Amino acid sequence: MVDQNSNYALQTSEVYVHYGKKMAINNVALNFPKNEVTSLIGPSGCGKSTFLRCLNRMNDVIDICNVKGKFLLNGNVDIYSPDIQVETLREKVGMVFQKPNPFPKTIYDNVAYGPKIHGIASSQNELDEIVKDSLHRAGLYEEVKDRMDDIATGLSGGQQQRLCIARAIAIRPEIILMDEPCSALDPIATAKIEDLINELKENYTIIIVTHSMSQASRVSSKTAFFHLGNLVEYGETGKIFTKPDKEQTNDYITGRFG
Amino acid sequence: MSSLEKRLAAEKRFKFYGMFAMTLSLFFVLILMYKIFSTGSGAFVRTTINADVYFDPNFIEVSSNSSKKEIMKASYVDLADQVINQNHPGLDEENFIKVREMYTRKFDYQLRDYIVNNPNVIGKTVNLDISASSDLDQIVKGNYPRNVPEAQRKINDYQLSILDSLDSKGKMSKTFNFWFFTNGDSRDPETAGILGALMGSFYALLICFSFAFPIGLLASVYLEEFVKPGKITDIIEVNINNLAAVPSIVYGLLGLGMLIGVFGMPYQVPLVGGLVLGFMTLPTIIIASRASLRGVPPSIREGALAVGATKMQTVFHHVIPLSLPGTLTGTIIGMAQALGETAPLLLVGMVAFVMEIPGGAFDPATGLPSQIYLWSESAERGFLEKTSAGIMLLLSFLIIMNTVAVLVRRKLEVKW
Ligand SMILES: Nc1ncnc2c1ncn2[C@@H]1O[C@H](COP(=O)(O)OP(=O)(O)OP(=O)(O)O)[C@@H](O)[C@H]1O
Ligand SMILES: [Mg+2]
Repeated sequence: MVDQNSNYALQTSEVYVHYGKKMAINNVALNFPKNEVTSLIGPSGCGKSTFLRCLNRMNDVIDICNVKGKFLLNGNVDIYSPDIQVETLREKVGMVFQKPNPFPKTIYDNVAYGPKIHGIASSQNELDEIVKDSLHRAGLYEEVKDRMDDIATGLSGGQQQRLCIARAIAIRPEIILMDEPCSALDPIATAKIEDLINELKENYTIIIVTHSMSQASRVSSKTAFFHLGNLVEYGETGKIFTKPDKEQTNDYITGRFG
Repeated sequence: MSSLEKRLAAEKRFKFYGMFAMTLSLFFVLILMYKIFSTGSGAFVRTTINADVYFDPNFIEVSSNSSKKEIMKASYVDLADQVINQNHPGLDEENFIKVREMYTRKFDYQLRDYIVNNPNVIGKTVNLDISASSDLDQIVKGNYPRNVPEAQRKINDYQLSILDSLDSKGKMSKTFNFWFFTNGDSRDPETAGILGALMGSFYALLICFSFAFPIGLLASVYLEEFVKPGKITDIIEVNINNLAAVPSIVYGLLGLGMLIGVFGMPYQVPLVGGLVLGFMTLPTIIIASRASLRGVPPSIREGALAVGATKMQTVFHHVIPLSLPGTLTGTIIGMAQALGETAPLLLVGMVAFVMEIPGGAFDPATGLPSQIYLWSESAERGFLEKTSAGIMLLLSFLIIMNTVAVLVRRKLEVKW
């Protein structure tokens, strides 16, 4: 059962996801503590992305995808309830994708887009402030402050990904979902993003899918291990990587399969 | 011979066949171009006869104080006759008619236009180049042979002798025929121009664009972004592809039957012509637009949705702007096709003799291709060169439009 503890930013239980007839997530229950980083790990195709995309209802876009289960935001908001508008949900639960996907518009417009459509800023000045602040928090401001009007697709991959993070935090979400945010980046850019995640967790709850054990252990306090649509094990990151309870988990982190 | 050598030889042969096919088609294109240019270039030059024109107030119904409208309405036939008498003194009635035939039938209009622009000329003598008649023009250009029996000539012996004497006095000259670009159609080849048809085509294309572009864009956006793919979209897809291949005359019949027959729209106007061309262009636009919508990466849509944009905002803020270059390219190519289509225009009546230059989509008009068709039907040699010149103009517009289409794609296309 979902417990009503509001120390959790998000609580899920009895989650089943099907693509058509094919099962992708099988009865998963997982809670995400506030202002902490939770890693989702597991072999390719085990359903990490699928599960993550349930949390801001990105799976709604896929016609054949059928999601069932309980999802509670802040202990009381059922995010799949018909009264909830998916746009407001996504205002609270932002997302960063595996491949940086900035809009082919200016750097400024990329960050300003979210605040604009949600009417967050009441004046141009305030909008400027939000853009600046978001870029600051994403650790990108110093690099782009002189070329805010350049087209964002001209940035390097790592910069683009930080821009996408700035774009996500510009609408002041509570939760940020990250699906392998560093898999397209080199080690230096990856290190920058990891530093950034460590800073962001002060203010945001972060859920990150990663294939890198070392990354999971560097950035997250909780880790969940998925296998074939099942949640095999969940716990403190330190414990999962040193003495997991399940043999499957042990096999995976020691590289014996996956 | 080893197998590799055989394959290499085959490749060589294939290359040779390809070269041969290309050279052959290039050769035909060149012949076509040569034919059109050599016939058509004459249309840009007009033969004139220099004459002293005394704007004799006795033969002019208006004065220099008259309003422009009055000057336009007055008749200048007597003045023209008087000018001929002055420049060719001592003609009897029979010879007078022969000489008069050497000048354009629109002599009086040429005088009128001069007075309109220079009202103070009345009472003065001016030296003017008067347009020759088309038959004389064709003789001077060498398109009609001189050394054939008189009965086979449009210009008789007497007129030839006058021509030679004018020529020896240096009175014959040639000028750039700007009338071709500023006049509407005419019964007389020397004054016939393409502007009326050009404007007719322009208004028709304007209507075609305003009708087909928004509908095509919205239809493709709806099909691509909002409808769940299924049986119905498959059926629509097949139908659209089919419609793109339907011969244009069928669209002409549709226009005739529906727009004119059922909705009672007028015959012969660019509005109807444009709508018919629009029907015809619509499938092309939809196909091009859908292809370019599909070219927008899904990650852009996800990016917008993830910051909480609605589907509508995602489509209108991100997807459509990114697909627009492809859509525009398809539209321009579709309109270039429409510009050259003759059959639909024939069926909705845009193929009649129209002298006035249309002032809008509701005025009777022809279009470029139908004007070319009209002229090509004409027996007079003077219209033959107009036909070719019209084709040259049409081809230039097609080349321009297709170049613009390529440039739009190069300039605006986003690279991923
Ligand atoms: N759009 C889709 N349509 C059909 N099946 C899908 C779709 N997306 C994912 N699946 C299936 O669901 C299962 C889980 O996929 P998912 O992308 O969630 O895995 P993942 O753990 O994120 O893998 P990876 O580490 O490779 O990203 C897979 O078997 C996959 O084939
Ligand atoms: Mg994945």
